[in-house]
Parts: sequence; C-alpha cells; structure tokens
Amino acid sequence: MKTADRKALKVFQELLENPVNRLVEQAAGDGRIPLGYSCSFVPEPLLMADRLFPVRLHATGIAGTEIADNYLSSLVCSYTRSILEFAFDDRYDLLQGWVFVPSCAHMQRLQDNLEYLKKPGFVHTIDVPRKVSEATLDWMEEELHMLSDRLASHFQVDMGPDSLDKAIASWNEYAETVKAVGELRKRPDPPLTGTEFHAMLMASLASPKDLIMPEIRAFRDEVEQQGDITGHRARLMVVGGHLHDPDFIRVIESQGGLVVADRFCTGSIPGLMPVETNGRGPVRALAEHAFRKTLCPRMMEDFDRRLQSVIDIVREYNVDGVVIEVIKFCDLWGVDSMPLVTALRDKGIPVLKLEREYRLGGEGQLRTRVQAFLESMGR
Amino acid sequence: MIAAGCDVGSLTTKAVILNNARLLGHALVRSSFNPEKSASEVMEKALASARLTMDDISLCVGTGYGRERIGFVKKTVSEISCHAKGAHFLQPSIRTIIDIGGQDCKAIRLDAKGEIVKFITNDKCASGTGRFLEVMAKLLGLELGELGRISGQATHPITLASTCTVWAQAEVIMHLNEGMPKADLAAGINEAMAARVAILARSVGIEQDVCMTGGVAKNPGVVEAMEKQLGVPMRRLRLDPQLMGALGAAVFARERLGVS
Repeated sequence: MKTADRKALKVFQELLENPVNRLVEQAAGDGRIPLGYSCSFVPEPLLMADRLFPVRLHATGIAGTEIADNYLSSLVCSYTRSILEFAFDDRYDLLQGWVFVPSCAHMQRLQDNLEYLKKPGFVHTIDVPRKVSEATLDWMEEELHMLSDRLASHFQVDMGPDSLDKAIASWNEYAETVKAVGELRKRPDPPLTGTEFHAMLMASLASPKDLIMPEIRAFRDEVEQQGDITGHRARLMVVGGHLHDPDFIRVIESQGGLVVADRFCTGSIPGLMPVETNGRGPVRALAEHAFRKTLCPRMMEDFDRRLQSVIDIVREYNVDGVVIEVIKFCDLWGVDSMPLVTALRDKGIPVLKLEREYRLGGEGQLRTRVQAFLESMGR
Repeated sequence: MIAAGCDVGSLTTKAVILNNARLLGHALVRSSFNPEKSASEVMEKALASARLTMDDISLCVGTGYGRERIGFVKKTVSEISCHAKGAHFLQPSIRTIIDIGGQDCKAIRLDAKGEIVKFITNDKCASGTGRFLEVMAKLLGLELGELGRISGQATHPITLASTCTVWAQAEVIMHLNEGMPKADLAAGINEAMAARVAILARSVGIEQDVCMTGGVAKNPGVVEAMEKQLGVPMRRLRLDPQLMGALGAAVFARERLGVS
C-alpha cells in the first residue's frame, strides 16, 4: 500500500506521547482549566465553556500496570487499569478535575480508586440513563445543569447560556472540520490512511480544541495537496470500544487493509455530529446531542440502532470487511459483539473479531489474523 | 514448473517442494533465533532431498510467524490460509482443521471449495499449544514423542483440574510424588490439552471431515483424546501434519504460477 510521509502526522503522534501534552501545558500555563473525562457521554462542549477545556483520558505508551493491579482486579479491563497506573504515576496531575460517567462497573471502580487514593479537587459523576426517551432527556438535562452549576461555583467560570452557545459553536467548528477530513475516506482511493486519521482524532481529543485546530487545518491542506493512497487490498471498518493508539490501526493497514471508517468509543462516526441548537437552551441541546452521537452497548433496547449504524456505514464508505476490536474483560462490548458478529455475517459482511489489551501487544499475531482475514475475503 | 513453500514457525521451520501435484522434497529443522537463517537452512535440506538447486524453483511462498523475514520468497500468505490450503489439497473432503503449533493453536472451517469460512486462534496462553506438551514431557523426563506413545498404556488417566501450564505443572509434580504411573499422567496431560483445544474448535462449528495439523497432530494421545472430546473421527493425512503450512504455501506458489 502506497502511503505518504506527512509532517502533520508527526505532530499528532508527538501529542499522543504524553497524556498531558504540550498544548495542554500551554493552555494551563495561560490560566485555563483542563478537565479529564473518559466517556463519550460527557459532552465536550460543556467542558469548553469560558476557561475550561476537556482532555480525553488516554494512556498510550503504558508499559505495565503493576501498581494499578494492586487496586483493581485482573478481571477489570486494561483501559481502566492503565488510566489508574498513569494517575499513580502523577501523569495527570495537571488536570484540575475529573468528570465521569458510570458507563460500566470497571469505570466506576476506576473513579472509586482515584477519589480514594488521589483525592482530586474536583470529581463529578454524570448519571446517564440507560434508555432514551423524553423522560431520560429531561433527566440528562438536569444532570448537565448540576454539572454546569458545580463547575461554575468550583472554578468560578461563566457557564451561562451565552458562554455555552459560544462553546458549542467552537466545538461544532472543530467537529465539522474533522468530519470533513474523515469523509475524504469515502473516495475510492482515499487521500489519507486510517492511521493518520486516527492519530489526528486522538490528538484532538487530548488537546485544547482551539490550539490543535491549526494543526488539523494544516493536515487537511497537506492531505488535499498530496496523492491518494493506492494499492490497498481491501477497505475496512473498525468497530469496538476505547481505542487510542493509532499503532493498532497501523498494524491492520500494514497488511493492506485500508481503514476507511470507524465506529468505536473514541471514533468519529457518529461521534462528530454537530450539536443542533433547537431553541430549548444549550444544556437541553447538549443532552440530546449526547444520545444522538453516542452508540454505546451500555444502552438498553438500542442494539438494532447500533447494528444498523454499522450496516449504513459499510454501505456509505464502501467497506469490504469489518474488524471488531474488544478489550479483554470489557463486559459491554464483549456481550454486544457476539450478536453483532452474527448479524453482520448474516448480512453477508465479512467480520474479524479481535480480543485485545488496551496497549498494543502481540503485533505478529495481529498481523497474521488480519492477513488471514483479507485472504479469506479473497483479497 | 517447480514451486516451493517455506513455513518459519515459532519452534520449527519447514519447507516443501512440489512439481505440479507431486511432492519432490521436504525438510524440517528447529527454528533458530534468526528466521532468515532457519529458512535458508531448511530450504537447502529440502532442495538436497529433491536433488535440486534454488535456481530450479520458479516461485517460493513464505508463511509462519517469520514469513516476512525470508529473503528468497516472492510472496507471503498467512499460516491460517496455508494450513487450510495444504489440508484441502491433500484431502478435499476436509471441512474443519485443528492446527496446534508450537506456540498457538487455530481452528479453521472450510467450504467445499476449500475457502476459509471461519477461523479462530489462541495465541495468548501456552496451554493448548505444543509448548504445553513440551513442558509436561520435560517434567516427566520423557521425549516429546514418548508422551503420545505411552499414553496408550494408561489404565487410570489423571484429571488435571487446571489447564494453565504453570498450575498444571504443580499438579503433575504432586502426582509424580505420589508415585502415579507416567502413562496415566501422560494420558491426563493429553486429555487436558484436547479439552482445551476442543473449546476453540467447537466455536467455529465442527463439520466433517475433521483433521489435525501441526506438530501436536503427531501425538496419537492428543488425536485420540480430541476424537473423544469432539465425538468425531480425525482424518489422518497422508503427509507429516507438521508440514501442512509449508505444503499450503507451495500450493499457493503453484497456483500463482498458473498450475491448476
């Protein structure tokens, strides 16, 4: 597969080397307030009001979880253990607060341990319902009001409607720019690899949006000027839970499977839908947006929508095969992936399911499986 | 046209040379730390057995974990596809393949054309791999080949509570200290291995004919235990099952050369 060597990609890779990167340090140095979060149900625009900015928690480059293993059972997923390990290692100390969602039991144990052992100055839990209805939207709106009020009083920041509208507009601009880059992948010979796109997306989730936007625009311009990616054996889509490390995508692509679409917790589809302000106030808009742009297996009676979204993306992006990645011991994706595999195969869509750890390991085995998957597709 | 396949596995490296459908030569060596060196060594031996030189080979396909490090191959194919291709080439009625290699095991299901329908691999745990048997044979003071042979003499095979290689060792040591006959221990080890791999095999859906490939397929104790576990006979292939990956690679090379 012929790829390009882009300058902008190196910038994103460098920004992912540290969970608190130089852009976060720069913003914090300017008196702004970084807040960590770990779940897509946390509305980023709310954490972008006034001097606040969100940092999606990641632990790329983690070498082991020796300390965290003392506090979390070995049946707890390696993502949560990695975050706790980095927290013990003081790697997130620049963050001034943490916003959690009890998305799963593992994430709750992470929060319990962080609160008990690190005693951060600000911790908040958004109690997100597990079904979507008018009543749950009301509940979510109230939850977001509670978070907004706490942020306003704790950090002395402006969380009023005008401030939130401004944050939403800024987030929408970011989302539309990244989404437009992602949509270039619909082309028969896309001008960028899945590895590049993922590195850009992950770096943007871990950086203040305003400071990384120039890098995203530079990347977009570079992509538009350079040639297309040619010689790929198949167009793939990756589906699953938290995936931060672009190297996972790189290994898949090393076998000739170009990743053209994503549908995972930290991915762009449908995660980058713009917030629709509907005249019912910014907080209500964010409550509705949280459910529209997040397709999480924790949600009850929503499997059909999750399945349909994968099928729609397969058609829209002309995907040849789907790779489902599940972090070992992830209850939510572990359970959801079983009927998902069957349903997709029933639709004639080739599926490869990979169980993995949070950090990239067993690269040789991963390459073999992907190569065999492509071969089984006749590619 | 003469085609070759070279399979650089984690424990052994194999090569097969084909002229159309005729097997001209083959060889097997222990893998060294240098995959390129192992590949050259095995190919030299295979060529010698076929009385050929490298210049006689029109195309060689590489497979196995070291496939990307073989200097003389023009194309690489995953070992999953190669085992499927090799087994189907030898016995077209094969629909399910259980491949137990040195450090992983795979279950592969094929359609009537020999195309892969489904596959699953275990490469995260040593139990259910050739390594498990190596460790156990060493513990019993036996050669690996003897582990299979003596298990046929068992009268009361032990039941291993743990399939974890580390914990199973502790259990076997306990039974050894109690004076349990080695044949009973060997049979218990083979059955534990088969039970572990059978779980993997069932998950692709067992369809007959079923065969075993890889080095462990040469252990009659495991093959018989697998037949009991799955309730189906294992089709014995008419070539060393450990060579199946290299044979499949050679068949791929042959196809690429346009030989049907």
